[in-house]
Amino acid sequence: MAEELVFMMGKYEARVPTDCLYSKSHLWLRSEGLRYHVGFTAYSVRLLQDVYFLDWSVEPGSQVYEKQEIGEVESSKALSTLYAPFDGRIVEFNELLLADPSGINTDGYGNGWLFTFETTAEPLTPEQYLAVLEGGWEKTQNMLKGQVN
Amino acid sequence: MAGQKKLTVVISQHQGKNPVKRQLEEELAMACMMDPEVEVSIVPNLYDLSSDHSGMLFLSGIRGDVVVLSWLYPRATQWILDRSGIKGKAGTVLLVSDDEEEDDEASTATERPNAIGTLDVPNRLIYCVDLRASPDPREFLGEIRRIVQETSTETVDLLSWIQGEPKKEQLERYLNPQEMLGIGHSETGAIAEVEAEEKVRRRWYPVIDYDRCTNCMECIDFCLFGVYGVDSLDRILVESQDSCKKGCPACSRVCPENAIVFPQHKTPAIAGAAGEVAGLKIDLSQLFGGGDAMELAARERDIELVRDGRDAVGMEVGIPKRQPQTCGVRDELDDLIDGLDDLDL
Repeated sequence: MAEELVFMMGKYEARVPTDCLYSKSHLWLRSEGLRYHVGFTAYSVRLLQDVYFLDWSVEPGSQVYEKQEIGEVESSKALSTLYAPFDGRIVEFNELLLADPSGINTDGYGNGWLFTFETTAEPLTPEQYLAVLEGGWEKTQNMLKGQVN
Repeated sequence: MAGQKKLTVVISQHQGKNPVKRQLEEELAMACMMDPEVEVSIVPNLYDLSSDHSGMLFLSGIRGDVVVLSWLYPRATQWILDRSGIKGKAGTVLLVSDDEEEDDEASTATERPNAIGTLDVPNRLIYCVDLRASPDPREFLGEIRRIVQETSTETVDLLSWIQGEPKKEQLERYLNPQEMLGIGHSETGAIAEVEAEEKVRRRWYPVIDYDRCTNCMECIDFCLFGVYGVDSLDRILVESQDSCKKGCPACSRVCPENAIVFPQHKTPAIAGAAGEVAGLKIDLSQLFGGGDAMELAARERDIELVRDGRDAVGMEVGIPKRQPQTCGVRDELDDLIDGLDDLDL
């Protein structure tokens, strides 16, 4: 069992495992040889809730730039365009998720990985990501609130 | 009187060869053919037609009410037609896709006093129907029947205003303009397929919704490819459609009124969906790195500039200086922090 940091979203404990690196856009990156597996952090999943639709708009093998639109996700309560976390190359997508995206909810830091990614960028450390969460929490709540009202 | 007027129904084909879509088109065409009060024609995808394509010329020749069925958002269809001078009042379509339903009411409720509107709108109705609204041809046929009823009632009213009775031939000509064009009838007397020899290639260009456009000129300042221009009345228009860069929707992101439609873009708001945001779901794009629409637009433009062998300009050129939208008053924030779980997002 990997160690982890925890960020409190209200009463909810969002886990930030220390064996991953992170992006500001709330994705985790775990080194797998020369590549990374990339997935949604617990923080993202908590906001998305049950994901039922995932679609990629770029081909596997594509070079992408940071913040390039690469796909879309939709859940029972939310939707979002997805963006590349850094400049790099998307090697392949998790085929299992395309058939059934529920792995994002049941095993977000494991089998729920989204794609494999090559990048020379330096992702955030768990501590840095935790700082991003702490710094952005108020803004996120405002954003949610602005849309709910 | 009754039975003289036929309602024109035009089916705009899907770009691809998807058999399911083709089948729906064909079933609708066949069923309409059997309806004595309907005149049906098929044209290639409207968006790809130039103004002088026979399909557009055919549409321009229709003087009466018309139903246009296409694989596009109704707003997109309406303004594509408008661009080719095919105008009319928007008929109210009751068959809409689920996503659009809630938005529809919201959007009709929104008056846009600063919009410049379109000019020279004749007194007839154009009903734009989205073929994605249902997989069942019967639902479309039901809607067409409803429109037949609706328009035939209105015609009686309209004709009663006319001073003096029109001659039978005049009336005939007004009501059946296809005969003047020599198209619209085959031996069976019903179906015409205006596809013919003309090769239709896929196109990509913006379409302006003048019910939203305020003539602010931000698009013409932003686009560096000469797509936009102004007419003799200094109204913005899409002057050089085919100078537009395939896949690039950047100017629509810059438009403060969301008045620029790219009918084939995958994002509903850009492709002409009625509402400002899709449905009642929360949009988390900002959280996942979407950031600012201006930044995204500038980046998309840079990619096209570089492809053309020109220099990227980033945010330096043609980016309007606007206040970011604030999202409401900050209150009861503490409740929200603790109550996020109860909020049922």
